[in-house]
Amino acid sequence: MGKVMTMKEAVSRFVHSGNTIFVSGCQHGEPTAAVYEIVRQKINHMTLVCALTGSISFMIGEGLLDKIITGYMAQDEKMSYVLVKARENGHRPIIEEYSHFGVSMALLAGQIGIPFMPTKAQLGSDMLRYNTNIREFPCPFTGNKLVGVKAVVPDVAVFHVQRCDEEGNAQKWGSLGIDQEGVNASRNIIVTTEKIVDSEVIRRDPNRTIIPGFRVSAVVEQPFGAYPMHLAGCYAGDNMGMMRNMMGKEGYESFVQNNIYGVKDFNEYLKRITDTQGKDYFEKLKVKNPIYSDPVISGQ
Amino acid sequence: MNNMDSQQYTSADQMVVTAARQVKNDDSIYVGVGLPMLAALLAKHNHAPKATIVIENGIIRVTPYDLPPGTDSLGIQAMSDQLTSLFYINTLGQAGYMTMGFMGGGQVDRYGNINDTVIGNYHKPVHRWPGSGGGNDVMSFCKRTVVILRQSKRRFPERVDFVTCPGYFDGTPNRREKEGLPPGTGPVAVVTDLGVFGFNNGEMVLESYHGGCGVTLDKVRAEVSWDLKISPNIKVTDPPTAAELMVLREKVDPQRLWSGGKRAMPAAPKESLDL
Repeated sequence: MGKVMTMKEAVSRFVHSGNTIFVSGCQHGEPTAAVYEIVRQKINHMTLVCALTGSISFMIGEGLLDKIITGYMAQDEKMSYVLVKARENGHRPIIEEYSHFGVSMALLAGQIGIPFMPTKAQLGSDMLRYNTNIREFPCPFTGNKLVGVKAVVPDVAVFHVQRCDEEGNAQKWGSLGIDQEGVNASRNIIVTTEKIVDSEVIRRDPNRTIIPGFRVSAVVEQPFGAYPMHLAGCYAGDNMGMMRNMMGKEGYESFVQNNIYGVKDFNEYLKRITDTQGKDYFEKLKVKNPIYSDPVISGQ
Repeated sequence: MNNMDSQQYTSADQMVVTAARQVKNDDSIYVGVGLPMLAALLAKHNHAPKATIVIENGIIRVTPYDLPPGTDSLGIQAMSDQLTSLFYINTLGQAGYMTMGFMGGGQVDRYGNINDTVIGNYHKPVHRWPGSGGGNDVMSFCKRTVVILRQSKRRFPERVDFVTCPGYFDGTPNRREKEGLPPGTGPVAVVTDLGVFGFNNGEMVLESYHGGCGVTLDKVRAEVSWDLKISPNIKVTDPPTAAELMVLREKVDPQRLWSGGKRAMPAAPKESLDL
């Protein structure tokens, strides 16, 4: 059976209540469309692993998360309606705090199949007092103090990329945040892609493949799948506009009801945007002055 | 503000210009979003064109770029020297290849410890910041870390309630090394809108104050929570030059994201918090 499927099918087949989920995109090309579908399907009691992703605030607000493993997350209710809503509904997630590097080390340990990774980050900090998954221990060689960061192996990753073939060989370029470790650490991987390309395209530049097809469970073609986040080579973001519209209870509730629950899928949401913002709205976001690299040459 | 005389400047201008002067031409700088990025860009346009800027989500570049609203944008990625991962960036730091760190902070204490996490009880906070982000990594790994933040008594407690990024702990000699942190690292300067602090035996010492824009020594003292040590060589901070101001306003921040009067980056939550 093929891996190419709709977002609805991919999420319902591979994201389950109680899962630990990795959401890719550290301020660049996050899988917004996949996150909205998870919210639409109300998959709950999840543990989320992420760094600097915006769309996951809907997971918080809709009460889907028991825990968040991260390095940076708004936690002041004065600044965050979604936290207020989650608390009022009895679903405020526990936030397990690391440094950014700490999160990437937890995922790297998961990726390489080792119970923990040693690091000098977080040494001497008070994060160790409140997060039992980062612990001080003596180096077996020097006796010096190190921090062991416990491995995280997500049940599933949602990963948005510029291009991917039908087998799931997925290529992303631009800044990569914690994508490589997060995706490679995960047991199941849903790749959402701007475009499904012929395998020949992948094989002409295979160094760019972040995850090989045999590790991937589902492939979903979703143009503008990272919107309102930008994606290298594809489109600029409109995150600030989005943030303004979502401020406070009214903005948030109206967005969730109309644009997540009120549509059947992400494409219907995108159509609503062009209906209100103008037919050329997405055209205007597209990269205007593309820079082309010199060709990468292989062959014999 | 648009009609501001080109020679007029605010204490915030002085802060950014002074912080930028900490950058050397051969530095590889781990730069945080907001004020640190503004200062690093000013240095690059001015006296340190060869300095390498390193950004946490995986961007390494030598050429300048337009100030982004967050840590990432198409513009900040385009024509970089290397696009990589957050993990890789921090391996450069942990292995000792980052000569300078440039960061903000929620609070800084007498011994240069930074709190980006919580005031009061961890579980019942009086005030809550978003947490370390890359802050702990910068302060743990970089050779010379410069902290840039607005100064107020609440932002400058004698001891922070929560150490997110260790500075010199309680000032005990070699405490960083005893805790396992790499030798030869730690904060070397704290630059505020009132003055510039260095460190002597792990304790913050005032080295200059921004007298040129009306700041007095008493004002600096009033906005820290302990009996502040003053350097025997205390002086008035060198005011911004016309060239520095011109570069800041016309090249670094032409859209006035920061210097348009609001004096706050739209996506710099640590700086926008009213504390």
